Amino acid sequence: MQKYTFVIDIQYKSNVRDPRGETIKRVLNEEYSIPVSSLRLGKSIHLEVEAESEEQARQLVEKACSELLVNPVTETYEVRKL
Amino acid sequence: MTLPKAQVVVYPGSNCDRDALWACKYVGFDAEFIDIYSDIDADLLVLPGGFSYGDYLRVGAVAAREPIAQKIKEFVSRGGLVIGICNGFQILVEMGLLDGALLQNSNGKFICKIVDSEIVDNSTPFTSYYLKGERIRLPIAHGFGRYVKTNDVNVALRYVEDVNGSDQLIAGITNTNKNVFGLMPHPERAMEKILGSDDGLRVFLSAFNYIKNNGGVRG
Amino acid sequence: MKYLDILETRLGRKATREEIEAFTVMWSEHCGYSHTKGYIRQLPKVGTGGNAGVVPLDDYHFLAFKVESHNHPSAIEPFNGAATGVGGIIRDVLAMGARPTAILDSLHMDKVIDGIIEGISDYGNSIGVPTVGGELRISDFYKHNPLVNVMAVGVGKNEHLIPSKATKPGQVIVIFGGATGRDGIHGASFASEDLTGEKATKLSIQVGDPFAEKLLIEAFLEMVEKGLVEGAQDLGAGGVLSATSELVARSGLGAIVHLEKVPLREPDMLPIEILISESQERMAVVTSPEKAEEVLKIAKKHLLFGAVVAEVTNTGRYVVKYHDQIIIDVPAKLLEDSPEEPIHDYTPSPLKKFRWIRFKDVDAHNVFERYDYMVGTDTILPPGFGPAVMRVKNSIGYSLTIHSRADIGTQDPYWGAYITVLEAIRKTLSVGANPVAITDGINYADPDIEPLGLAGQMKGLKDACEQFSVPVASGNASLYNTYKRKGIPPTLVVGMVGKVENLNIPKPSKGPVYAVGYPDFSIAQERKLQEEIVRLVKNGHFVLSMHDYSRITTFKTALAKLGLNLRIQIPRTEPVHQLIIVFGEPKTNLPVRKIGFCY
Repeated sequence: MQKYTFVIDIQYKSNVRDPRGETIKRVLNEEYSIPVSSLRLGKSIHLEVEAESEEQARQLVEKACSELLVNPVTETYEVRKL
Repeated sequence: MTLPKAQVVVYPGSNCDRDALWACKYVGFDAEFIDIYSDIDADLLVLPGGFSYGDYLRVGAVAAREPIAQKIKEFVSRGGLVIGICNGFQILVEMGLLDGALLQNSNGKFICKIVDSEIVDNSTPFTSYYLKGERIRLPIAHGFGRYVKTNDVNVALRYVEDVNGSDQLIAGITNTNKNVFGLMPHPERAMEKILGSDDGLRVFLSAFNYIKNNGGVRG
Repeated sequence: MKYLDILETRLGRKATREEIEAFTVMWSEHCGYSHTKGYIRQLPKVGTGGNAGVVPLDDYHFLAFKVESHNHPSAIEPFNGAATGVGGIIRDVLAMGARPTAILDSLHMDKVIDGIIEGISDYGNSIGVPTVGGELRISDFYKHNPLVNVMAVGVGKNEHLIPSKATKPGQVIVIFGGATGRDGIHGASFASEDLTGEKATKLSIQVGDPFAEKLLIEAFLEMVEKGLVEGAQDLGAGGVLSATSELVARSGLGAIVHLEKVPLREPDMLPIEILISESQERMAVVTSPEKAEEVLKIAKKHLLFGAVVAEVTNTGRYVVKYHDQIIIDVPAKLLEDSPEEPIHDYTPSPLKKFRWIRFKDVDAHNVFERYDYMVGTDTILPPGFGPAVMRVKNSIGYSLTIHSRADIGTQDPYWGAYITVLEAIRKTLSVGANPVAITDGINYADPDIEPLGLAGQMKGLKDACEQFSVPVASGNASLYNTYKRKGIPPTLVVGMVGKVENLNIPKPSKGPVYAVGYPDFSIAQERKLQEEIVRLVKNGHFVLSMHDYSRITTFKTALAKLGLNLRIQIPRTEPVHQLIIVFGEPKTNLPVRKIGFCY
């Protein structure tokens, strides 16, 4: 058994509005004069799991995502190994 | 003798501003609203509760960096009185005028209830009308009220029981000079018995009389 | 499209693709009220109609209020569905020129769905409107079809009452608020669909932006204060299309809409998409051309987008253009004139013995402590004691309650509705308030399969309102709450407002506690019961009127906060009864029985 660390990067799907991101983008553009053309606010989860292999670890992480961590209706995610 | 004057800063998204103005007028202040572009002309500045900028990014983060921020800092250095309530407290912390950080309540949820608090320091301009150790009932209504202590800080108000996971049950603090007071509970909502408690009245009364007796910083 | 035949007959020709899109929205059940219009016409009414119901409060103020449902969206995406539900109803009340002062919610779920609570909490708290009451009905009835009915209330000054229509040709219509994107396209027709239909998979999730809503509230009220608003309508289901067409159709006027002027947040939107998009946090303001610039300045000051989007004409035609291209050109009234489904007469069955269908007893404190119920410093009676009581500073108070009896509605839709109204009256009286008017939330399954249930529900509502003199000021209908053809029980949600002259409302106190009244029900006894409630409250007794006294956990927690404990024998009653609980020994001619102590 070994420990594997992953980063799960969760964002709203592209067809779901992100008013928070839009508002912060406007602030950066208009008040800080930083020409940001796109800003999406998401979540980053660092997860360490115990498994027999990296493949098994990934499967566990996928399970965590599909069953709890990610809202499949509005969110999309990417899993990266650290 | 001019009447002590209070200004309530209305940030985009502030929503306890009208309650704060009402409280200031109730105790006798000449009070008005100002916005983030205004100049400060007051003895007491109130940063009210609410959801400035929707709390989008970090609570108080965007508001803390608005044009008025510099003027507030100058006002503080001149000895002006500032009270930051709830979101106002969060803004003062983001501005660096008060120490520490305000993070999400430990149970991850917004809480609205009247809680028991204890006056720890009654030597501040905002708490002189209370007895040291006095227990008072004040409403809280916040999702991000967990105070995280980063340096030694002057505690003015403490919760009697844990409500949100704050370090040492800290509910309200001041700066070293005690002219800036930040607290998560809402004294402006505890001004009349019919609302459940009038224990908050004395916060505004203390400030009003401090200014009357010591002269304010206007002019 | 459902009524395509009727449309083409009325047009006298084949409908264009754009017209089909537009009429699918305007003639959907959600916007057009085809199955309920006929019944609603028969209800005793008060006020002039419009975005929200309006009743006078005192000599200087009016109260605007309405209940609205967001059931289908909350089934798909609970958080955003509930949040945008709050947003929509708040704007309806705001459009009358009133500052929103309270929210109540009636939630029907099979278990406490956290997303729904969070959605209402997040949105309501952010905009600074207190959520002061509600009801939580936990039952398997709603397993696949949760009901989220939100009632908003606002107070305005009489001189600020805004008509929900344009009044003369030459006016212009400004749309301001958030920018427009593709959200919710076909949300209105989606709300009228069975959730297993194909449409359910073509998701149209609307995401709320409470920060923008708060800015909208302040901007609009500033415009109202400055006398710049001659008419207003919020943009909800059907977006620009429904708001602009309804504003002119109501006065027999017409409009020319310039879609290229609408501020957009997504590139390359088709004209028809701009027209029917349901992007949130937008308002339509009717004003005179010379005032438009000031309106736009105020919007901009509040960090909102805004543009003059249409002119009001006297042609009676609703013309939509995109630059020079004409997208739609139809009589404005045709869009409002959705086909009316036949209504049915209903003869109520005699009152029978109902069986108990109990909802789960939950401590609602866990729910309502997540709502800021104090912001505004006008909440006099907080959640947990029955109806909420608010005040207008230095003036009058008003009571608010929201109530439903689906457990009876499922056994008999007529009596379910009738009893709901009566119980709402009793609750209102129990805080010393005088009932003024109601807003009705109709939640029903499939009226095409089961038309009589709807007829029964509407007749029960009508009869109770007429017989007990409480008119209807506003309302909402949500039909087709079904899953795989199986539907919810007829759930009529009644929101009632009352006037409170004396804010010294009796509070629970230590001492003996009594059950007063009858464990069963007879119409002949109702008036006497209501009079007794008024007398008892006047004599300083705290009165509790609930339909199921075994679900007393929430009340006990509220008492505990006052440092009080209740030790009583729960009185046994029929599901429909006329029993109240009174604190302190009452002087009354009704049957009285001591049931315990409060200490």
